[in-house]
Amino acid sequence: MVSDVIDRDDRFRGILDRLATKSIDDYYNPYRLFEWPDRLPEDMWWMSPELTTTYGTEWAEKLTPQQLRTLSKHESINFYSLNVHGIRELLIEVVGRIHTAGFETPSEFFHHFIGEENEHMWFFAEFCLRYGGKIYRQPAGAEATASSAKIQSLLVFARILIFEELVDHFNSAMAEDERLHETIRGINRIHHQDESRHIAFGRELVDLLHQDLLQTATEQELADISGYLRRYLKHSFDSLYHPQVYRDAGLERPHELRRALLDSPARAEAELRTFRKTTRYLERTGLIR
Amino acid sequence: MSSAGIDKVRDWILGRHPDRTELAADVDLIESRLVDSLAFVELVYTIEDAAGIEIDFDAIDIEDFQTLATIEKAFFA
Repeated sequence: MVSDVIDRDDRFRGILDRLATKSIDDYYNPYRLFEWPDRLPEDMWWMSPELTTTYGTEWAEKLTPQQLRTLSKHESINFYSLNVHGIRELLIEVVGRIHTAGFETPSEFFHHFIGEENEHMWFFAEFCLRYGGKIYRQPAGAEATASSAKIQSLLVFARILIFEELVDHFNSAMAEDERLHETIRGINRIHHQDESRHIAFGRELVDLLHQDLLQTATEQELADISGYLRRYLKHSFDSLYHPQVYRDAGLERPHELRRALLDSPARAEAELRTFRKTTRYLERTGLIR
Repeated sequence: MSSAGIDKVRDWILGRHPDRTELAADVDLIESRLVDSLAFVELVYTIEDAAGIEIDFDAIDIEDFQTLATIEKAFFA
């Protein structure tokens, strides 16, 4: 049982207690915390230019400074939209496990996690709807796999962790970026503060779920997990490149542009940079080989 | 006879699976794992580009994406 592995681990239980206490001490009212001006200046950067999808490519030279700023606006709305839907999906998974067999010990922290993630989803959605008039979607497909419940749980929490680490890379940079409006810096700052707890929790839980799985998994199952997680890293990063974003920014042939940007060396470098710590963790634990 | 658009979709799927040289119109793409949930996004974008349309991601009916034949009927007819 997962719970046996978790309950035997004093270190994990100690971390859970500390994180839950910190969640209580840092508790804030998100509905009162932020200033929401009616509009934000269109001639400013909405996202750090180094984090936009054209950075380091020929397109950063071809487009005018205003086109790049307009694109940064739509890319930022897509980034927060990814947060809205990413959180929605992870909440479904965590709510599906809280207070069920195997997850007794982390359930106390799950309450903080669910509450905080719901609040994050609110302020990200508020930003998208207020300043972008929309929340971008990603096409959602279906899966034919019939893996065990243990593997599914491991993959759920590994996906949550990868998604949170990607977002945190952006949040920590944008919280400090003085080229951005204070409202933008504020939501990135507060999200970074909460996510550092969630990432610490996620790393410990994924590690324990993996250790538990190692007792019974076949070599093929472990190889499949590794392959899947490598593809998931790429898939997550690719979601920053959205054809509707390029269309909304007034750029022609959005699919062609997206493919060119995805194929550029700058994209590969940016993905490596974004997931440097995540990849090191996944390799150290043996989750990816 | 298939349209040039559906050929682009077939070529994209075959390009991801070098072990295959052919793909019949009635092969279930999801059950056969030729397109899993991670690849599905790219399948949708490939169809959008080949058909010159915008697909409403809120109204996706997975059955439209089950085989090359259903894709052709839904997006290239």
